[in-house]
Amino acid sequence: MKLAILGESAADEAALEILVSKILNRPVELVQPSLRARGWPYVRDILPSVIKHLHYQTEAEGLIVVVDSNDSTIHDPSHDSEGHVPTCRLCELRRVVKHTLQHLRSVEGRAIPRVAIGLAVPCIEAWYRCGKDPQVTEAVWIQARKEGRFPYTCNGLKKAVYGTDRPSLTLETQRAHEEALRLSNNLDLLEQNFPNGFGALIRELHSWMHQANSTSQESES
Amino acid sequence: MIKRIKFHNFKVLRQAELPLERFTLLVGPNGSGKSTVLEALEGIRRKALHPLSVLTAGVPISSKTYTEVRLEWGKPFEGIATVARWHTSAGTFSISHIQITPDAEPPAADPIRAQLDSLLARIRVFAFHAPSIAAQVKLTPNAELADDGSNLAAVLDRLRDEVPERFEALNEELHRWLPEFDHILFKTPAEGVRKFLLRRQADRTPIPAENLSQGTLLALAMLTISYLPSPPPIVGIEEPDRGIHPRLLRDIRDALYRLAYPEDFGEKREPVQVIATTHSPYMLELFRDHPEEIVIAEKVGNEARFHRLADRPDIEEILQDTSLGEAWYSGILGGVPQEQR
Repeated sequence: MKLAILGESAADEAALEILVSKILNRPVELVQPSLRARGWPYVRDILPSVIKHLHYQTEAEGLIVVVDSNDSTIHDPSHDSEGHVPTCRLCELRRVVKHTLQHLRSVEGRAIPRVAIGLAVPCIEAWYRCGKDPQVTEAVWIQARKEGRFPYTCNGLKKAVYGTDRPSLTLETQRAHEEALRLSNNLDLLEQNFPNGFGALIRELHSWMHQANSTSQESES
Repeated sequence: MIKRIKFHNFKVLRQAELPLERFTLLVGPNGSGKSTVLEALEGIRRKALHPLSVLTAGVPISSKTYTEVRLEWGKPFEGIATVARWHTSAGTFSISHIQITPDAEPPAADPIRAQLDSLLARIRVFAFHAPSIAAQVKLTPNAELADDGSNLAAVLDRLRDEVPERFEALNEELHRWLPEFDHILFKTPAEGVRKFLLRRQADRTPIPAENLSQGTLLALAMLTISYLPSPPPIVGIEEPDRGIHPRLLRDIRDALYRLAYPEDFGEKREPVQVIATTHSPYMLELFRDHPEEIVIAEKVGNEARFHRLADRPDIEEILQDTSLGEAWYSGILGGVPQEQR
């Protein structure tokens, strides 16, 4: 499947390519050159242009976007019924995507690209601790935000994952690759521990598969 | 490690105090004293600045007027300061190591003085210049990289001969930074003279240094410093991001951190204290996780002051809504040029 990944670094891209490929159960062919955004709020700002570029200039079928939540509001299923919660990065990105997709011109022979968004709570290193540290979960972080007392920080998670909070890009990419391979064999646990942030991503990707299956069944019948 | 530098009448730094970490990034407008800090270190190393050239403009000169740069040391020289003083009227320059806390080792003790003198003598301040980096050089024993990056061919040649495994690691890293090239090669245009070339991976063509892009040369110089087996103990670097593509800045950051935090990169050598300057919001952004490493230089009237970003109590709150680079550019963190109104 031809996809684009909008990440902060080559390390994020390496991990997401492995995870997404496993979720979709098919190889991922990345659109070149690699897309980068320098964290929040740049991801939100650049997203409309990235979607337009993918639609008008590439054959990408979908876009994967994952952002760190840092200290922002963590997405909750109640947001979906309330509508857009501006302090939630997932809601904010969904709003931007919805608005952008609505205004795309149609291109002959091309469907509108799909966009799947994930929220790493509080950062992608938390996902890499899944299965290694049971104290690192979305629920723990949400509770910590309520109490104002955090059992871990992003810098602390980096130290746990890389052995330093100043990892080189090479080390980050290598570890991201290793951890993503490990997690790809235990996606259920990752979804269980990060039901909103990773869960949102996996559910969106599953919906792509269902749509693809339904379309192929329809065309067969 | 230098814990703090205090300036008195040193150019724009009339009365300023600069807190330092193992790695410190100085940001601020032109003329706010960033380069002056590096110039002071260079002056102390050379013990050669002309008194009148360092004096703050506009300060009345009398027999009591002096210019001073005071380096306060951290471990293992805690409690000791090195004072460099220029007496303007007498035209003299002196450097002394003084005891500033009662429990410190006596500064007069020869071993400590000798160690500090040796440290000061090995300070290096780099402001790279692409044509100098590319220039062919005469080979000399113990060749070192010059302030403008010249001598790079000799330094690389020495690294290849003396520590080949480091040279290979540098080649690998270079290829990762600039995938177009896969190896550093050498040529001997005349006896005892070296120049370097980078081999283009696609067609194995060696590209002479003088034909390489400015950014490639600047990146190679930065990378080389970080791979030296015994780098200088204190390094100042003027705009290490200059001429470098924004996407490569993360690698530049890694090279700076490799110098300052060798243990995090599997290195077994002593850490280097690094002081770097930048005008790039992109570069600044990469240090967001460590506000203690960022010092904002501010020009107020005719003088400059420094403040550490981490000392600002609301910094975490501010960075919840925006990037560090953007926050700095906006002016809310200070360290931006004054505008005429």
